[in-house]
Amino acid sequence: MPYLGSEDVVKELKKALCNPHIQADRLRYRNVIQRVIRYMTQGLDMSGVFMEMVKASATVDIVQKKLVYLYMCTYAPLKPDLALLAINTLCKDCSDPNPMVRGLALRSMCSLRMPGVQEYIQQPILNGLRDKASYVRRVAVLGCAKMHNLHGDSEVDGALVNELYSLLRDQDPIVVVNCLRSLEEILKQEGGVVINKPIAHHLLNRMSKLDQWGQAEVLNFLLRYQPRSEEELFDILNLLDSFLKSSSPGVVMGATKLFLILAKMFPHVQTDVLVRVKGPLLAACSSESRELCFVALCHVRQILHSLPGHFSSHYKKFFCSYSEPHYIKLQKVEVLCELVNDEDVQQVLEELRGYCTDVSADFAQAAIFAIGGIARTYTDQCVQILTELLGLRQEHITTVVVQTFRDLVWLCPQCTEAVCQALPGCEENIQDSEGKQALIWLLGVHGERIPNAPYVLEDFVENVKSETFPAVKMELLTALLRLFLSRPAECQDMLGRLLYYCIEEEKDMAVRDRGLFYYRLLLVGIDEVKRILCSPKSDPTLGLLEDPAERPVNSWASDFNTLVPVYGKAHWATISKCQGAERCDPELPKTSSFAASGPLIPEENKERVQELPDSGALMLVPNRQLTADYFEKTWLSLKVAHQQVLPWRGEFHPDTLQMALQVVNIQTIAMSRAGSRPWKAYLSAQDDTGCLFLTELLLEPGNSEMQISVKQNEARTETLNSFISVLETVIGTIEEIKS
Amino acid sequence: MSASAVFILDVKGKVFCEYFKELEEESIRDNFVIVYELLDELMDFGFPQTTDSKILQEYITQQSNKLETGKSRVPPTVTNAVSWRSEGIKYKKNEVFIDVIESVNLLVNANGSVLLSEIVGTIKLKVFLSGMPELRLGLNDRVLFELTGLSGSKNKSVELEDVKFHQCVRLSRFDNDRTISFIPPDGDFELMSYRLSTQVKPLIWIESVIEKFSHSRVEIMVKAKGQFKKQSVANGVEISVPVPSDADSPRFKTSVGSAKYVPERNVVIWSIKSFPGGKEYLMRAHFGLPSVEKEEVEGRPPIGVKFEIPYFTVSGIQVRYMKIIEKSGYQALPWVRYITQSGDYQLRTS
Repeated sequence: MPYLGSEDVVKELKKALCNPHIQADRLRYRNVIQRVIRYMTQGLDMSGVFMEMVKASATVDIVQKKLVYLYMCTYAPLKPDLALLAINTLCKDCSDPNPMVRGLALRSMCSLRMPGVQEYIQQPILNGLRDKASYVRRVAVLGCAKMHNLHGDSEVDGALVNELYSLLRDQDPIVVVNCLRSLEEILKQEGGVVINKPIAHHLLNRMSKLDQWGQAEVLNFLLRYQPRSEEELFDILNLLDSFLKSSSPGVVMGATKLFLILAKMFPHVQTDVLVRVKGPLLAACSSESRELCFVALCHVRQILHSLPGHFSSHYKKFFCSYSEPHYIKLQKVEVLCELVNDEDVQQVLEELRGYCTDVSADFAQAAIFAIGGIARTYTDQCVQILTELLGLRQEHITTVVVQTFRDLVWLCPQCTEAVCQALPGCEENIQDSEGKQALIWLLGVHGERIPNAPYVLEDFVENVKSETFPAVKMELLTALLRLFLSRPAECQDMLGRLLYYCIEEEKDMAVRDRGLFYYRLLLVGIDEVKRILCSPKSDPTLGLLEDPAERPVNSWASDFNTLVPVYGKAHWATISKCQGAERCDPELPKTSSFAASGPLIPEENKERVQELPDSGALMLVPNRQLTADYFEKTWLSLKVAHQQVLPWRGEFHPDTLQMALQVVNIQTIAMSRAGSRPWKAYLSAQDDTGCLFLTELLLEPGNSEMQISVKQNEARTETLNSFISVLETVIGTIEEIKS
Repeated sequence: MSASAVFILDVKGKVFCEYFKELEEESIRDNFVIVYELLDELMDFGFPQTTDSKILQEYITQQSNKLETGKSRVPPTVTNAVSWRSEGIKYKKNEVFIDVIESVNLLVNANGSVLLSEIVGTIKLKVFLSGMPELRLGLNDRVLFELTGLSGSKNKSVELEDVKFHQCVRLSRFDNDRTISFIPPDGDFELMSYRLSTQVKPLIWIESVIEKFSHSRVEIMVKAKGQFKKQSVANGVEISVPVPSDADSPRFKTSVGSAKYVPERNVVIWSIKSFPGGKEYLMRAHFGLPSVEKEEVEGRPPIGVKFEIPYFTVSGIQVRYMKIIEKSGYQALPWVRYITQSGDYQLRTS
């Protein structure tokens, strides 16, 4: 990253760093180094003074050391050859008498992100794990995770893992937690750190000694432990009881989740826990930290889905304060909607009504929609409030109120009369498409009860040429035709004009088609039109469908205290999928030498399969025989890349399968005897780029299907897909021969 | 872990605050070396390590030009079993200062009905004690009184809700017999917090009339009433009344204290140095408005009140005793102070 003007600065700093006078004066020396760091922070390329900085690390001044190490960690990836020189100094510092220096040096060394550093850090880390100062042990334990991360694909070092497991018994609480973190990172592929009974009990006993971050994390790890008996389960719950009262919200939430998960068979325990965390959750909802407040509100909503009315007596806590940011106000309004009951409905509605006239149009509209939601249960009060809001004659309010009315009339037909009386005059204050559509729909469906309906629609017909939204025109066509059926005399003329316009002048195809459709329908006869257009005007049952049924606590317990309640389940799924894809990206082939898309094997035909290599897609190398040992080792180290189930019936001769596979250059490593259940076979194949495909075929007893798991030593989706289709074809063919 | 993730950001901010007094761009820029040092100790590989600012202060000193010798000793807390207190602390005079602070949160509707009123109490300690002292704090906690049979007598007790303690308090003992026992950290810390949602009379009641005559003027009349005991006095009362952002030429008349227009916040601040209980004061303000009305609509900010009433707690909580036991058997003095102050104290305007 060349940065304009950095050359001069580098030159000057280099000179200063080399100056023996400055080197002799500690304060001045450190000041120069500080300047280097300052420029580095600002984005200037300071890698030019690397050598000089390495020299500066040989000092007794610990602050200077810290700065130099920081510098090294930043530029080591850029100057790996020079950084190797620094390692010597770092190694020496790792055996400094001062534990602070030892820890600092080890931490910095593990953070040098450059190739080949592993061989140098291994020994210092091992020494660090047995250091007598806990500060160094903390660093060394995390260093193990960093080292594993640098390797990337390296195998798990069993001895190191064992050492870390034994360090779980360390007397320093942070070392214990760091061990868990480190093991989790190293054993990620195998599903993370294993929490068995002794470890779980050990951790439970140490809980009170840990700091809040440690507690929160250990609670999360304990989720993996499944108590053996009911007695043990309740012992654990009793031990953890006090953590529900922790002053750290993270610990409270972690403990709550653990309770919910462990007590999944005991609904009354779950309810009891949720009652007890009510206080802490409410406190978090009014926390000074806005972000925390938001997260807490999201969790409150989650709980309300299962226990409606859980926070009812505290509804006032969810009233918005003037200075709160938008996102919190919107969440609070949602919560208020769900808390409404017979006792508080009056107060909640009054509060919401105050929000409807807020300066922020978004917030005001959200409040109006909220009232609309409450109106499904408390129709009369809400319709009255909404009607009053129309009197304000403000555009953003009117449009939302009319939309709310439309939805409400559909779900609660008993309010039709009131809505119809409120509507006249609204048309003057609606400009947007959504609002217009809602108004026109209401006028069309309930036009016989609104005296001036034809005249309002007439205005729309007059201005239809300047109407920009096609959706409004379509709505207008339907509404006018409906109104024509109930009030023909007033509408006939303008219906004619509208149809003429839509058919002759309108450019939007959908609108034109709709116009033509209605025209032809009218030609068939008025009775037919009535039969088709006059559908029911309301459907109260829809409300029941829309209201989500009470969800059991267990349906969301595993999402509690994750980001799922914050983002919503569906949204979070997409986000995490995107992140996963990004992470996989670098592993994709840089030079894909073949076009691997397209159907590879169109028919189940062995001859065709044999022709495959010529087609240039997937090229499996013949006679590539792996030893069983090598196969086993590779198999265990890889993740399953693809899993699939094929239908499979009856018996067959394994030799046939083996031969068929041989034809397409897939070798059989091992196979169960014919007829044995479960029946297993292990296959291997390699393509011309050296990519290995390892496969397991499995027939479970009593199951009429074959389970296929494929592992790949390089993650390449295209070749994997081709390989699987080859395999499918072969197995399909065998199945056919057999039957 | 969502709660933890958000919380660590908050804590980081607090740690920086304790180092720089104020957290803003300027202070980070000026102290970038310390920021780097702090971040290095706070997090390693993305995992929070030591976040207690007291312990951090022991090994990241602020006088960065203070030279350290090669054999500087490691602060004992780094290796200690009790992570919040170092061994070998010595004071000439052993003292503990206890501050019982209650802040009142209030939300009042424009029509004068109280929507929300709660008390958030904290007990803060300032500890100057040598060695590893064992402290026990006694409060007039209702649950404790019922346990020990003290209730029913003339002792007044308080029911605490949602009690939270500093890490040093032995929670198991509190759960068993409501004893608050602990080995305190050195210096300032917050021992516990609690909440009371019992409805109390708003301590300072405000009635206001804000009349806006478009294109000409705004007239404001505010009446403040102290609704607490006559013996108590509220200090540093500040009542901020919202005015339109285009108001000009302010004029004030107050029965007591002084009023000031703060145009950058669009408020009038009426400050009263001492406000005895039971008294009632009045302020009138007059503003001009431009004849051309401005386009954007303004919100209706609430009236805010700040105050502090010493020697008084709304809840009536009392420290009954503070026992200090240390191996060396020294005598130590506890000092107690009570304060009630305003928290989020808002009265909506129509």
